[in-house]
Amino acid sequence: MTLANHLYRRVMRRGRLIGLMALASVPALTYWLSAYDSDASEAALLYSDILARLGFSYAIAVLILTVAILREERDAGTLPYIYMRPIGREAMALSSIGAGIAAALTLALAGWLVSLTAVLAVGAPLDTSWSGLAQYAAAGVGYAAVFVPLGYLVPRSILVGLGYIIVVESILAEVVTGLAQVSIWRIALSISADIGANQNPGEMLNSIAPGVGGGVAKLAVVLVLGFVVLTWALRRRDAL
Amino acid sequence: MSDTIVVDELSKWFGPKVAVSEVTIGFGPGVTGLLGPNGAGKTTLMRVIAGLQKPSQGSVSILGEDPRAHPGIYQKIALVPEDEAVYERLSARRFVELAARLAKVDDPPGRAQRALETVDLVGPAGRLLGGFSKGMRQRAKVAAALVSDPDVLLLDEPLNGADPVQRAHLISLFKDLGSNGRTLVVSSHVLAEVERMTERVVAMVDGRLAAVGSVADIRSAMTDRPRLVFIEATDNRRLGAALMSTEGVIGVHIEPSRLRVEASDAGDLAKRLPAIAVATGVGLNRVEPADESLESVFRYLVEGGE
Repeated sequence: MTLANHLYRRVMRRGRLIGLMALASVPALTYWLSAYDSDASEAALLYSDILARLGFSYAIAVLILTVAILREERDAGTLPYIYMRPIGREAMALSSIGAGIAAALTLALAGWLVSLTAVLAVGAPLDTSWSGLAQYAAAGVGYAAVFVPLGYLVPRSILVGLGYIIVVESILAEVVTGLAQVSIWRIALSISADIGANQNPGEMLNSIAPGVGGGVAKLAVVLVLGFVVLTWALRRRDAL
Repeated sequence: MSDTIVVDELSKWFGPKVAVSEVTIGFGPGVTGLLGPNGAGKTTLMRVIAGLQKPSQGSVSILGEDPRAHPGIYQKIALVPEDEAVYERLSARRFVELAARLAKVDDPPGRAQRALETVDLVGPAGRLLGGFSKGMRQRAKVAAALVSDPDVLLLDEPLNGADPVQRAHLISLFKDLGSNGRTLVVSSHVLAEVERMTERVVAMVDGRLAAVGSVADIRSAMTDRPRLVFIEATDNRRLGAALMSTEGVIGVHIEPSRLRVEASDAGDLAKRLPAIAVATGVGLNRVEPADESLESVFRYLVEGGE
């Protein structure tokens, strides 16, 4: 816990956090403006549609925050202070991904609270927003499991991660059925679509069927893969 | 006494660049100075020993364990890295406490306090490390290393930026730790400081070991180098002429106020010199071997490696 707490607090710098919370809130603010004159049922439909399509701004915010978990330690030369401690590499990988998930969930909460405010402001049913929380939280967990190891392994990890989000997640996964099945954003969307009563994820889901169980199982696989890769990297790759 | 750190046929390369080449060496309890010019491979060797970098070839064991395979050994090992890197937004006290918590020691605040006292950093311990001078950062890093009371301490240029008083304090601390049975490997390019810390040195040039042992032993082993002795006498010219025909004297240079004598064996020259002085009627004011210092030995090694 000491290591996870340290890593979490290190990346949660005030200035960066405010900027990333604003980025994570872009879908909610867009929804607010779009649904301002809509009636309640229309506003509820717009909620899931806008969050599904513009939610990549949240993914980018999570990317920036979670790749920094270990990358900043490496770049700043402070990694020896945590690497050279009697901590098993499995525990170090778990703490790092755990810190990444906590950071992503912080952004998820911020983005969702803004969306909740928007839902209240436009007069949509309150339960509309639960799917948004589920979507952000599930995506945050999945992205942290991918981006924390990426940050450790790749020097220009933000660029690589941006390429992944823009090219793979937002473009290719919408048209390639196989990629849609492993797209973290769509896995999260399948969970939120199953939770929300008034959801309209539309074509974004591609071939994925809505379902909490399947989505959670896929996220668990992503988490295990992220953990295995990071543990391997901590053991086998140079720490500096 | 058996070696605490065993480095066996160790090489480390980065692409085509070989940073450390086939180094085999052991470090036992006490202080060992690791010397070498910039780019000699000292920092890479330290990092590989510390387990931060994987050997490209060969192996490292500390207290019988490979640190990369058994992170538990880090309970007994600490590194003070060369970089100025510290957590700039942490106070020195929180930095050292964090090190104590990660090292899983009992009573982290108490251990941190003692470590800060050891490096004389209690007063400013509440200030952020980002506002510290280089020397103060070094002391904070040393405190963080000492907080787990390690058996093996790897110190990469630990005196960088420290003021003279703090240098003396840290040198005394390292000597005490070494005399208490801990293994300290101290890299430095400030040779005079290494001389004050230890007699035992390891010299590296171009990624290879150039010499290992005490300064005197290394110097004695360098039989291809004449010993340089400066002599001030009442009549330098007459003494110089007499020395020219003395066995073992390779060269005599008359300088404005002294003689610079190159001899194959400085000890032998020292034994003969009084008799020669008496025979020539010259008084000796000063006799000084000029190249027995660590700096001159090191200079020879580096020149030899080029």
